Amino acid sequence: MQSSRDGVSLTRRQFVAAGAMGGAALAVGCTGHNQGDWDFLNDEQARTLTAICDQIVPADDFPSASQAGVLTYIDRQLARHYRRHRNAYRDGLSSADAMSWQRHGRDMAALSAPQQAQLVAAIEKENSAFFNLVRSHTLEGYYGAPRHGGNRDAVSWRMVGMGEPPVRGRAQYDERKGAAS
Amino acid sequence: MMRFFKFAGIAVGLAAVLAVGGTYSASWYYTSQYGQGCASCHEMAAYVRVVHGAPHRTTGCMDCHEASLSTKLRHMRIHIFGTVPEAIKLRDVDVPAMTSNCKSCHQHEYANWHAGPHSATYSQIFTDPVHNSKRMLMDDCLRCHGSYFSGAIRDLVQPLNTKGPWRVIPSGLGDQAAMPCMTCHQVHSEGAQETRPASRISVAGAAVPDSLAFYDRRETLHFAAASLSTPQLHDGSRTVTVSHDPRQALCYQCHAPREPEAGSMAAINAWGPQVGSGDDRTPMGVHEGISCVACHDGHNENTRASCKTCHPQMSNCGLDAEKMDTTYANSASVHNIHWVKCTDCHQHGIPQVKAKPAIKAKVITTPGMDG
Amino acid sequence: MKKVNAVVVGAGAAGGIVAKELSTAGLSVVLLERGRWYTANDCRKDDLRNQRTTVLGNAFGPDDEGNPRVVWDPQTGPRTLLPSEGGYQNNAACVGGGTLSYGAMAWRYMPQDFRMRSIYGAPAGSSLEDWPITYDDLEPWYEKAEYEIGISGDYSGSPFFGPRKRPLPMPPLAPNREFQILEPAAKRLGLHPFHIPMARNSVPYNGRGPCMRCRWCVGFACEVDAKNGSQNTVIPTALATGNCELRTECMAKEILTDDRGRARGVAYFDADGRLQEQPCDIVIVSACAIESARLLLNSKSRLFPNGIGNRHDQVGRHLQGHHYTGAVGFFDFDTYDDVGPGASIAVADYNHGTPGLCGGGALCNEFIRLPIQMIDRLPVNTPRWGLAHKKAMRSFYKRNIAVMGPTQPIPMADARITLDPAVRDKWGMQVARISGNVHPHTFEIGIVQAQRSEAWLKEAGAVSTVVNAGRPTTVSAGQHQAGTCRMGNDPQGSVVNRNCQVHDVDNLFVIDGSVHVTNGGFNPALTIMAIAYFASDSLVRNWNATGFRS
Repeated sequence: MQSSRDGVSLTRRQFVAAGAMGGAALAVGCTGHNQGDWDFLNDEQARTLTAICDQIVPADDFPSASQAGVLTYIDRQLARHYRRHRNAYRDGLSSADAMSWQRHGRDMAALSAPQQAQLVAAIEKENSAFFNLVRSHTLEGYYGAPRHGGNRDAVSWRMVGMGEPPVRGRAQYDERKGAAS
Repeated sequence: MMRFFKFAGIAVGLAAVLAVGGTYSASWYYTSQYGQGCASCHEMAAYVRVVHGAPHRTTGCMDCHEASLSTKLRHMRIHIFGTVPEAIKLRDVDVPAMTSNCKSCHQHEYANWHAGPHSATYSQIFTDPVHNSKRMLMDDCLRCHGSYFSGAIRDLVQPLNTKGPWRVIPSGLGDQAAMPCMTCHQVHSEGAQETRPASRISVAGAAVPDSLAFYDRRETLHFAAASLSTPQLHDGSRTVTVSHDPRQALCYQCHAPREPEAGSMAAINAWGPQVGSGDDRTPMGVHEGISCVACHDGHNENTRASCKTCHPQMSNCGLDAEKMDTTYANSASVHNIHWVKCTDCHQHGIPQVKAKPAIKAKVITTPGMDG
Repeated sequence: MKKVNAVVVGAGAAGGIVAKELSTAGLSVVLLERGRWYTANDCRKDDLRNQRTTVLGNAFGPDDEGNPRVVWDPQTGPRTLLPSEGGYQNNAACVGGGTLSYGAMAWRYMPQDFRMRSIYGAPAGSSLEDWPITYDDLEPWYEKAEYEIGISGDYSGSPFFGPRKRPLPMPPLAPNREFQILEPAAKRLGLHPFHIPMARNSVPYNGRGPCMRCRWCVGFACEVDAKNGSQNTVIPTALATGNCELRTECMAKEILTDDRGRARGVAYFDADGRLQEQPCDIVIVSACAIESARLLLNSKSRLFPNGIGNRHDQVGRHLQGHHYTGAVGFFDFDTYDDVGPGASIAVADYNHGTPGLCGGGALCNEFIRLPIQMIDRLPVNTPRWGLAHKKAMRSFYKRNIAVMGPTQPIPMADARITLDPAVRDKWGMQVARISGNVHPHTFEIGIVQAQRSEAWLKEAGAVSTVVNAGRPTTVSAGQHQAGTCRMGNDPQGSVVNRNCQVHDVDNLFVIDGSVHVTNGGFNPALTIMAIAYFASDSLVRNWNATGFRS
C-alpha cells in the first residue's frame, strides 16, 4: 500500500504544482514560458542548429535552410512526431559546440562560414548518427511540404523548377462524349 | 476514500479558480492594443508579428477574430496542456464571422464581391442538380469551391451519387459563401519590414500586393500572387501569348487548363495544354495577351463598361461593342470576347470603307477540346 | 451478435471484391477492417506523410502507436519497428487497403508465371513451385477485374502476354515526356515498349472523371477519385446491396472454431477496444500476406495448437515481395514535364527467356519523383550536403529518368512470418516477426535487370547513370507482400487449395496475396483481384449447392 499512497500524493503534488504554474503563467502573462518562437529548442541550441543546417543547405540566389524555415520544421517536429529524437538533438548540439570550443575557442554560431563547414564535416565523421539525423531533417524541411513549417513559400520547389501550387485544370462534367459508365 | 474526496475537492476548486481567473485575464489579453496581449503567448507571437508588418498592423486581433468564452477556454486549455497544433489555422466555423468583419471596413469591395459569382454559397455550388446528376462530387471540388471547409466532401454533401437529392450536411453552412475573402487575400502577410528572402524570389518579378494570395487548401497556406505561375498555353501547336500580369496568376489557380486528353490531336502531337481546355478562359485572337483583370472587376468579376475603356465609340464597322453578344459561354457567337479574331468579321481582309459587313454565324472551334 | 453467412477480414484489394461478390449473391456479409475509411482530404498530398514517404508517419495506417512488428536481421538480430519505419514491410491499413494509395499498376501475370518450376526447375535453396491454376483459369477473372475496377492502358505493343478476349476498357493516358523519350530508345534496342496498364481513369468511367495528371500519385489518395481501388468500386457496390455491413477500426483477434475444427466465427476488438464475437457460416481472411498469416497463427485451439491451417508448418512461409532494381539516368535536357502520374512506359521483354536466369521482370519508368525523393538520387560523386548538393538538386531535378522493375522473386521456405514471443500490439496480441532473406538468384536477376535499365537510359541519351541493385539483408515484402498461405494441391506443401479454401477447414478461406505461389515480375494487385473474383465464384457456387453445412 505504501507505493499506492506515494502514487496518490505524487499525483496530487504534481497537480497542485501544475495548477499553480498555470495560474501564475496566466497571471503574469506567460513570462515564465519560453518567449522565443521555439516549441522545443532554446535560443542557444537554435543558433547552433542554424549554423549546421545552413551548411547543409547554404544560401546562394535561393535561401539557406534557416531562411526557408527549416528550423521551424525541425523544432515543430521535435515537439511532435520526432519527440524520440530530442535527446539526440540535445546531446548532438552541445557536443557540436564543445567541438567548436575545443578547436576555435568559440560557439559554433560565431565561427566564419568556412570554419563552420569544416566543423560540420568533422561532425559528419565523428558523430555520424547525429549528422545523418540533422541532414535528413534539414532536407525534409527544405524540400518537403511548406505546411510543416519549412520550405517557406515553396521556395525549394520553385528553385528546382516546379510551380506551386501547380496550375492544373480538371475535366468538365459535360465535356466528354460517349463515355462508358 | 476520504483522501479521494479531498483530492477531488482541491481539483474542482483549482479548476474553477483557473477557469474564472483565466477567462478574465484572457479577456484582457485578447483586447489589448494591436494584439500585444495575444502575442505574449509564444504560440501566437509569430502570427501577431507578421500582421505588424502588413497593412493591418494597426488592427487589433479582436477586430477580425471572434473570441467567445468557449474560444478563450479552448485557447487556455491548449496553452496549458501544450496540445498546440503543428500550425495555427483558422477554423472553418470562424470563417463566416471573419468575412463579415472584413465588410466592416471594406464595404465597397464586399458589396462588389457579394454581387458577383465568387460569393456563391455552398448550397448553390454543391446541390446543383444539373451538375450533380452528371458528375460525382469529389474531394478535389473543395480546392476551389470550399477551400476553407475542413472536412472531406462526404462531410459536406450527401448523398455522393448522381441521383440526389443532395443536401449540405453541416447546419447553417449551406447559406455561407464557399469562396470567402481569404480565398484570394491573406491578412497575416509579412510586409517589407521583415526580411523575407523566400518571397522575394518571384516568378512574375513584378511587385504585387502581398495581400493578394491564393489559399492553397492542401498546404493550408497562402501563396502570394507574385510567387504563382501562369501556364504556357497553346492554340493547336501555336504558343498563345499570355499576359504576365502577376495578379491574374491568382485566377489561373482555378481557371486552369487541362493536360491534353488521351487520343486528342493535342496529345498525339504533344502540343501541350490548350486554350479553353478544362476551366481555362484565356483570351486569344483580338484580345490575346490581355490580363483577366484588365476587363474583369477584381471583386464582382463583371466586365460592364470595360469595353468602353478601349472601344470608346462605334467601331469601324459601325457596331457597338457594348451591345454585342460577347459572352464567353456562347461559343457560337462571333463576338465571344475570349476568342474573337479579326478574321471572324473581316473574312476578306480589312474593308476599304466603313460599311456594315454581313456577319455570318460561324462556330468557333477550339482545337484540342474535342477529338 | 446475430449470426451472418460470411465474415471477411480486411477491406483491401481482395476483401472488397469478396464482400461484393458474396453480398450480390445474396449472402449476408460482415466486412471487418482494422483501419478507417480515409479520403484524399486526410492526406492532402503531404509529401512527408503519405504511404510512400513516411518520415512524419503513415497517412493511411497503421498508426505508429501500438502496432509494432519485429524484423529479424541476420546482421543485427531482432529489431522492433514502427509502421512508418522502413523494414516494417507495411501495407496500408484502411478501407481499400493498399488500393487507396497505390500507384495502381494493374498487370496480368504471364502464363509462364504460373508454371515457374516446370519451366525453370527449382534453384537450390528455393521453394519454387507451380500454381495449381493456370493463366487460362484466371483469364476471365482478370477481364472481370479490369472492367469492374477500371483499367486503362494498352498492351498491344508487347507480344509477350497471354491471350485475352477483350481489350482494356480504357485507353492509356496521353504519353508524358518520359514516355516520348524512352519509347524510341526501346525500339532502337529491339524491345517492345507499351503503355502500363493502370487502375486509373483515363476517360470518365464508372461515373467518375479522368485523371487530372497531378504530380502526387503513388502513396497518395486521389482527389479527383480517378484512381480505382476497392474503396471506390466494389465496396460501395457491396454496401448498396444492403447485405454487407462494413465495420471499420475492428481488429480481428482470432478465428473461432467449434469442437469439430470448423470455423464458427471471428473474435475481434471493436473501435472502442471491446472484444466482440461475430458468429458466421464461413470466414474469409483477406488481411494481406503478413497479417493474414499472423491471424491464422494467432488462432490457436486444441485442434490447432500451432495456429489454424498450420498443421504442416506452412502458414507464414515463402514470404515474398519484390526486389526492385534499376537505374537513374541524368540528361542534358529537361525530361520532366510535371504530367503525372509519371510512370507510363514498360517493357516486358525481360520477364522470361534469358538463358541462365530463372525468370526476370518488367521494367518501367518511375512515378514522378517529388523533390524530397530526389535528395539521395543524384549523380555519382555528388556531395551529400552543402552548396554542391543544392546545385545538383537544381540541375538534375528536371533532368533525370528512373527506370526500374520488380524482379520475380524466387521463394524460400525460410523467408517467413512467425509470432514474436515477446512483442505485443496495443490489443495484447503477439505481433508478426519477419525473418529470412531474398534468394541469392533473385539478386543475380536483379543485377541483370539493373544493367538493362541502364542500357535503356543510355540509349535514350542519358549522359550519366546511377545503378541501383542493392542486396538488402532482410526479405522484401512491403506493399507487394505475398506467398504466406500459398495455394497447392498437396496439403503438406501449401495452406489452401486452388479455390483458396484452407485444406483442413472447409469453411475457412484465405483470399489475398498470401495465396500466390510465385509473385510474377509485376505489381501483384490485379492478380490479387482476379483471384478474389475466381475464388468468390467457386465459393458462391459451393454455397448455393451446400450452404457449407456439415
